Parts: sequence; C-alpha cells; structure tokens
Amino acid sequence: MNKWILSILALTMIFLASCKDDDGGGGTIDDDMLSADDLTDITYDPQTYELVVPCDFPEMEIPSDNPMTVDGVELGRFLFYDPILSADSTMSCSSCHLPSGSFTDNEAVSIGIDGVAGTRSSMSLLNVGYFYTGLFWDGRVTTLEEQALLPVEDEIELHTTWPEVEVKLKRSEIYPTMFRKAFGIESKEEITKFLAAKAIAQFERSLVSSGQSKFDQARCEPGVFLDPLELEGFELFTFEENEHPGCTHCHKTIAQLFTDNRFVNNGITDVGGTAVENLENFPDKGLGAVTGNIFDNGKFRTPSLRNIANSAPYMHDGSLNTLEEVIDHYSSGGFSAANSDANVMPFPLTDQEKAALLAFLRTLDDDAFMNNPAHQNPFD
Amino acid sequence: MRKFSFLLLFATLFIASSCDDDTPKPEPAGDIQITFKGNYDGETFYTQKAYDYTDDMPVRFSAFNFFVANISLLEQEDATEETELIDIDFIDLGFDETQTAEAEAGVTVSAMKVPAGTYRGLKVGFGVPADLNRTNPVDYGSGDVLSKTSHYWSAWNSYIFSKIEGVADVDGDGQFETSEGEGLTLHMGTDATYTERILFPSSPIVVDEDGSINLTLNIDLKTLFYMPINEYDVNNDELLDIETFNGTHTDSELLIAKQLMRNFSEATALD
Repeated sequence: MNKWILSILALTMIFLASCKDDDGGGGTIDDDMLSADDLTDITYDPQTYELVVPCDFPEMEIPSDNPMTVDGVELGRFLFYDPILSADSTMSCSSCHLPSGSFTDNEAVSIGIDGVAGTRSSMSLLNVGYFYTGLFWDGRVTTLEEQALLPVEDEIELHTTWPEVEVKLKRSEIYPTMFRKAFGIESKEEITKFLAAKAIAQFERSLVSSGQSKFDQARCEPGVFLDPLELEGFELFTFEENEHPGCTHCHKTIAQLFTDNRFVNNGITDVGGTAVENLENFPDKGLGAVTGNIFDNGKFRTPSLRNIANSAPYMHDGSLNTLEEVIDHYSSGGFSAANSDANVMPFPLTDQEKAALLAFLRTLDDDAFMNNPAHQNPFD
Repeated sequence: MRKFSFLLLFATLFIASSCDDDTPKPEPAGDIQITFKGNYDGETFYTQKAYDYTDDMPVRFSAFNFFVANISLLEQEDATEETELIDIDFIDLGFDETQTAEAEAGVTVSAMKVPAGTYRGLKVGFGVPADLNRTNPVDYGSGDVLSKTSHYWSAWNSYIFSKIEGVADVDGDGQFETSEGEGLTLHMGTDATYTERILFPSSPIVVDEDGSINLTLNIDLKTLFYMPINEYDVNNDELLDIETFNGTHTDSELLIAKQLMRNFSEATALD
C-alpha cells in the first residue's frame, strides 16, 4: 500500500513539475523556450531606435540607462496596450490613453477597473518624453520610468501589484522573448517591474508629433501658409498687444511644445477669495499635495497645446468641454486665489478674435500622429 | 657588475628627482561663494506676503527671479583686470513664509579654484549678455540654466532676464484679484536692458590659498520700482505706477523694463 501511495505521489510530483512552466502560457512559442528559464538561445541584438522629430524640435534627452531600442519600444507598446497589467485583465495603460484622443480617453475623469472614478482628466502623452520638470498633473515624479510604475498599483486605476504582474509576465507566451530581445536578460526570472517600466517609457518617448500639423507644415515646408484667420489667431496667441496677455506666457512656442513646463493655479477653481487660508479649499491640491506647501495648492502642470482639439475635455478636472469654453475662461480671468498666476488676467475678446484663436489652435491638429501605425494597439 | 648597478641606480634617482622638478605646481587658489538675498524695503523678502507699495496700495508678489552673468573679481578699481567667476546663473528669490530658512539663507552660487590674491571689487551682470542672448533654450540641455523655456520670449528673440510677478490691491477692497486685472507681470529682457554693477567692499576681498570666502549681495525689490521717468510715475511718489503699467511686454513699455533692470545696480548692496 505504502509503495502504491509513494508511486502516486512521485507521479503527481513529476506531473506538477512538468506543468509548472506552462502556467499562463500555451501557445506558439517553442516548447523548450516555455519549459526553461534560460533565454540565452534567443538572439539579443539591440538596434537603436531612431527617433524622428519635426523640424526645430529640440533633441530629446534619453536617459543613459534606458536607451531607446527597436525591441524596447516594441515591448513597451505591447505592455502599454496589454490588460495583463491590471488585476482583472480588463484595462491597460491605453484604456485611459487612446491614440484617437491624442492619448487621452476624452473623459472628464478616468474610471479604473473597479468602476471607481478618479479625480483628474487623463493627460495627453503627445511629446511626453520632453517633459523633464515633473510628470502627472501634479509633478509627483520626474521620469517616465518612475511614472510607468504607478498606475499599476493605483487603487483606482489598474489596482494590482507588481509582483502579480511580474508573475504573469514570466508565464506569458510572448514576454520572456520580448524582454530578452529588449534588455538581454538571460532568464525569465530577470523580468522585473523596472524593466517593464523602462520599456513603457521607451514607447512613450516615441510618441512625438508627426510634423504633419498645418502649423508644422507652415513652419517647415515651403509653400504652406496659415490662412489670414489662422494668422490672426497666431498673433493673438503670441503677442501681447491691445490688452491681450499673450497665451505664450505659459504655452511657450520656443521649443515647439506649447508649454512652459511649470505648475500654476490658472484660476479654474473658486476657493472663496484671496485670503491665504482659502488655499486649503482646493478640492484637489495638485502640486501642493506633493510639496506640502500651501502656496502650491491648486497648481497643476501647464499642458502642451499640441493636438489640443482632439484631447477634450480640458483642465486637470475635465471641467471645460470645448476649446471655446477654455478661451472664455481665460478671457474672464478665472477665479482669484492667493496663489493665482499673475499672467491669467481678464482681457476683451471679440467674436472675430475668438474665431481666430480657435482657427490657430486647430492648426495644431495632428491626425498623422494619432493614426501612426507604430502607435496603435498591437493586439488589434 | 657592481659598478654598473650603482650607475644604474644613480641614473634612476637622478631622472626621478628631475621629473619631480618638472611637475608644474598648481597656482594657489581658493573658493568663493556668492549669496543673493532678497529684501523688500529693508526686510527679508517673501512671496505671498502683503507689502505696502504705496501708502494706499498693498502688493503681494508671487515671483522674483533673474539671471546673473559675468560675475568677476576686479584686481583694481579701474576694472582693467578681471578674474571671471561665473558666466551665467539663475537666481530665484521666490521664497514664501513657509520657507523662512531658505529666504534668510538666500541663493548661493559658487566659484571654485579662484586664484588666491587680494581683489578690490566685484562685478555682477543682471540679465543675459548679448552673446548668450543670441542663443535660445533649445540650444541647451535640460539641466542648463539657459534651458528655461519659461524665461524666453519669442516675440523679443530674447531671454526674459527677470520676472517680477504679483498682485496689487489696486481698488483697495482688501482682495488681491488677478481676475479683476490687478495682476502684475513685469518681465524684462532684450539686450538693451542688460545691466552690470561694480561693487567695492569697504575692505578688500582676500582669497586665501585653499580658503573659502562668502560674499553676500542683498537685493531690495522695492528699490527696483523707483522710476525717475515721470511718464511712468504719475503719482509723483517716485515709484512706478503699477496700476497703469502692470506689465512690460510691448515695445512701448521697453523704457520701463530698462529702468527696472537698471535699478538692479542701486538695489544691490554687498555685505
């Protein structure tokens, strides 16, 4: 009897051992690859990813410990779109950052896997690789590698844990090979959240303007001009004349990114007056929650205006639905608080001028960016 | 054989000792720290604090920052020989009242390996010198002080040399309301506004070999607003009429910008 039990036990152990490497797999990859942790038979030959940027764009600063490679960007694209990164495999990064919305979800606030709404509108990822002074609306991290780690474990976003994701990645049919090709790892066990974040960061750095917006064509290509209304809008946007404050105080054109990379209170929230203590009344303290400084309450990142018409609604809380409403807000001067940005002051605006500003903003439309095959969902 | 060994040893020692003599000795040098501190009417300056601008108009500032350039030590009062310390840097004195330690400490820039010696004066430029002002933030990496897109104004083809921002309670209702047009955005730039100041301390600046000295420059923000140009001082109280001239962005306001930058000379004192 004992021998019989021992035999069954031995057979069971052999069976379990043989099953171990198939967890989460079952697929198209060579069986040896699935059954062994060793990945060294797979060629590791990293090719530099050539980032193509429009004329007059600055050179993007790539961290020396995460150079962009063709395989790294491709792995990042897969991870970005893969719901494997959420607890119930229903959502991915792309659920809130869709190409069709200039990598936003076009919602006022985003909703996570448990159906819980967040408090902020998803930010466009267009040209995000150039934002060196703090990411997210509140600037709480400084690098894309740090940023990519956070939504996975955020309770109202993907609501899982990295150890769980790492297990799924190691068991996957495709990812061990892709991590090998991207980073030269020698075994599945070397797959970590940090490498996953590096790959996602590489993909995000590839999300650069196409250079095909009318504004870029007018800047860079002979024979392309803004029409008179767009030109009038550009001048209103750029120059401070006739009581117009000049949108370029914050949406700087010099580096072509239409942001000054600062964090400001742009008067979108009424906190009840300009006394310092009223700064506690911001429902979302923004940068202040990061720094702990009351004078930073209600300050949020100046977003880029590139492709802005495709990333509605607007502001950190998604409270303005259209560009017309945005222009009306700034023309009104917004709400005053102790830390209001002094550049946000009321100014007169005729219907003609408003139409001109809108026409200019539409020259920043970048359909070619949104439709770029290299940015699309690889699982579609 | 023994003689040969002695000769070899002697030759080796000779060569070694002659090599020692060829090694250039480093020039005696020390380090200098220059600290910039902000004041308003003689008191430590804080952003977001209400100050009397005029008797009936309080003002709260939200930003006070500027580029400094061509900081040099002068060996003689005639400024014929300069020892350059710092080519360009950015000073942000925007500390609020939750940052008292930072405000009192000021912002320090350092120059290392300054030739030891006795110097008579210190030269400080305020703004971005013309040669650097021909460049723009795209020319620099993100860590460089000249990479600040927030301090470049494309319409001028110039860096913004200094920003003074805030809100004045123009209507006297006790509220500081940008939404009522009470904001103050004094942005100065273009080559014409670059200003240099030479300061002579009461006693010489002595840089000792391997020593370190600190020089403190106090800059009084209120002094920047003194406006000898009557056109911009409609109240005849010698201060810029910030109710009327609350920005300096157009060509017609260039004279104000020039005067504000020129006033850095008067506003700066060496401890």
